[in-house]
Amino acid sequence: MNINFPPLVALLLFPGGAFLLFSGLVFEYIDRKLVARFQNRYGPRWFQPLADVVKLLAKEEIIPTGVVKSLFVALPVIALTAALTSALYVPLFGFKPVFSFQGDLIVTLYLLSMMTLCIGLAGANTEDRFSLIGATRALTQLFSYEAPFLLALLGPAIALHTWNIGEINAGAGNGLWFIIAQPIGFVVALVGLMGKLELPPFDAPEAETEIVAGAFTEYSGRGFAIFKIGRDVELVIGLTLVASFYLGGFNSPLDFLWKTLLLLFVTAALQSMFARLRIDQTVGMWWRVGVLMVLLQLVVIIIGQQFAPVVQPALQSLFGG
Amino acid sequence: MEPKTAPEKFIVPIGPQHPALKEPGHFEFTVEGEVVTNATARLGFVHRGMEKGAENRTWIQDLYLMERVCGICSHVHALAFALGVEKLAGVQAPPRAQAIRELVSELERIHSHLLWLGVAAHEGGFDTLFMFSWRDRETVMDLLETISGNRVNYSANVLGGVKIDISEKQADAIRKGMDFLEERTKHYLKVVTEDETFLGRTRNIGVMTFEQADFLGAIGPTGRASGVKRDVRVDSPYTAYNDFPVKLVTHTHGDLEARFIVRIQELYESYRLVRELVDKMPTGDLTVRVPRRIPEGEVISRVEAPRGELLYFLKSNGSDTPERVKVRTPSLCNWSSVLVTAVGHNLADMPMILAGIDPCFSCNDRIVTVNRKTDSTQMDWEDLRQYGIEYYK
Repeated sequence: MNINFPPLVALLLFPGGAFLLFSGLVFEYIDRKLVARFQNRYGPRWFQPLADVVKLLAKEEIIPTGVVKSLFVALPVIALTAALTSALYVPLFGFKPVFSFQGDLIVTLYLLSMMTLCIGLAGANTEDRFSLIGATRALTQLFSYEAPFLLALLGPAIALHTWNIGEINAGAGNGLWFIIAQPIGFVVALVGLMGKLELPPFDAPEAETEIVAGAFTEYSGRGFAIFKIGRDVELVIGLTLVASFYLGGFNSPLDFLWKTLLLLFVTAALQSMFARLRIDQTVGMWWRVGVLMVLLQLVVIIIGQQFAPVVQPALQSLFGG
Repeated sequence: MEPKTAPEKFIVPIGPQHPALKEPGHFEFTVEGEVVTNATARLGFVHRGMEKGAENRTWIQDLYLMERVCGICSHVHALAFALGVEKLAGVQAPPRAQAIRELVSELERIHSHLLWLGVAAHEGGFDTLFMFSWRDRETVMDLLETISGNRVNYSANVLGGVKIDISEKQADAIRKGMDFLEERTKHYLKVVTEDETFLGRTRNIGVMTFEQADFLGAIGPTGRASGVKRDVRVDSPYTAYNDFPVKLVTHTHGDLEARFIVRIQELYESYRLVRELVDKMPTGDLTVRVPRRIPEGEVISRVEAPRGELLYFLKSNGSDTPERVKVRTPSLCNWSSVLVTAVGHNLADMPMILAGIDPCFSCNDRIVTVNRKTDSTQMDWEDLRQYGIEYYK
């Protein structure tokens, strides 16, 4: 849908800003509810994520001794800001991205990584031992999933000869969906997204039975709430990216809804199917399997593109096309 | 150049309050990166003075006190106590009472092992298995409630017999429940032996060889997973285990996977035993008379709790209160195996290794006298009381 929003509206109200924050909470609710149902639990009520955030915002924020105070306060805000900024470049809710330029795919991915960097810094900032281990694991995990995730999203970009998210979104609907054309890329992108959001089974950086809450251990009240919202926003944007690239793009809000919710359903199922991976297992899996598979697929795409002009006329003459 | 100093140790404290521990205990893991190089344990956070309390109560009152030593395996504590007292008094409970005692023991084992399965899976981050096994555990909890009226402290024993009877209707409910649980347990055995991610967390993790297990005195399913053939139910059968014998389940690998398999196979054994017991329950009385004053003497009473051998030492001076009650719970014997197997593993494996022995903190916390070589002091009751008041001031 091609509606041009005034930049300030897009930034603060719709489709970014306030509306995105609330949809983040809704997505978190759906995710929690689905996982709960898969695990034969009842799960939260629909307003639970909002209630959590309101409660946390109302609470006192404890700043532990031994931290750099300005950093401690600023990090959650930076993380949320980066996530909200990246929303401007993606076709949120099926609308055309507010801003776009060649190469905004790379910018968006880096903005999304700010979250993990902020978590890593937040953990390293405190003296708490659980936080330190959590930060180490978060950054280790960043190095393992980031490359395959990027490569997986590059697949459609290379196939469509454009590094502009809006154009990829428009082009993904023409012809074969990329989920069928590039199945490996889809799987890696989806699993990479789960690693990015530290969802189970990739929740080693905040494994509660080992290191309490990882990097967030010392966070309470406002800071924790902002981190939480930031992660919800990233969930929405991540699902938007993967769905628009691999599930044929969006033309309308309805399109957006069913495609992202379908992906959310799949991630929720994956979350409840596995035991938590150790951090060494995570790294091993990504570099031994993930990267190799995506690279293989990239090679196939590039070779295909090089030979397509040669092969296509031949095929057409053969089948009389 | 500055002189080389030893690198600062990075110690990760787990407990007394930690999400991995459901009860307070304190563990310090020295780590290098993610690898654990040393482990120490400190217990005693839930010392409740029960042994001393038992000396101030009558034999009959103690039965109810001892049932509350442990919240999971409550029946075996009362059973060990009752068996000891009966031995001192020179009486024996009637066959039907013995069979019902064994029945409740096995139902309790089923609930305990299913509970452990869930907890251990949760420690490994496999919450789905946790939720499912605890849901199915409700079946056996309901059965225990049906036959005894209580979910946790069943209070099935009295001195000289039992106070509950199994009716034909209850027996049918038990049979149905066992069929359901057996079906579910087959599924769980499949999950723990075939699920790739779960095997990644359990296979070859926390390996304890037979020699180590033997040397460290590992008992119960923890020891049996390393091939230690020790089970009080087999070695010196009590209650009705002579007429309804149990098959010893052992494994040779000694890793976490083996501990899962041993416990799950013990579940099968318990299902079989429970069915056999309700089918061939002896008829007759439920109790015999036990005198209020227990004759002078000492006795050791051993039973197999879900976690391993439970030992009671009872001393009577001929009055209606015991002179000394000493409890040695199975968890206490297995701690050293945790500290030894922990070294060399990842920090991420620690919760599972800890949970692997099925620890029960509150029942193993007792006063410990540390006998230092230089300053050895003797404390009597008054000193000890004063020390406690000063300590917590």
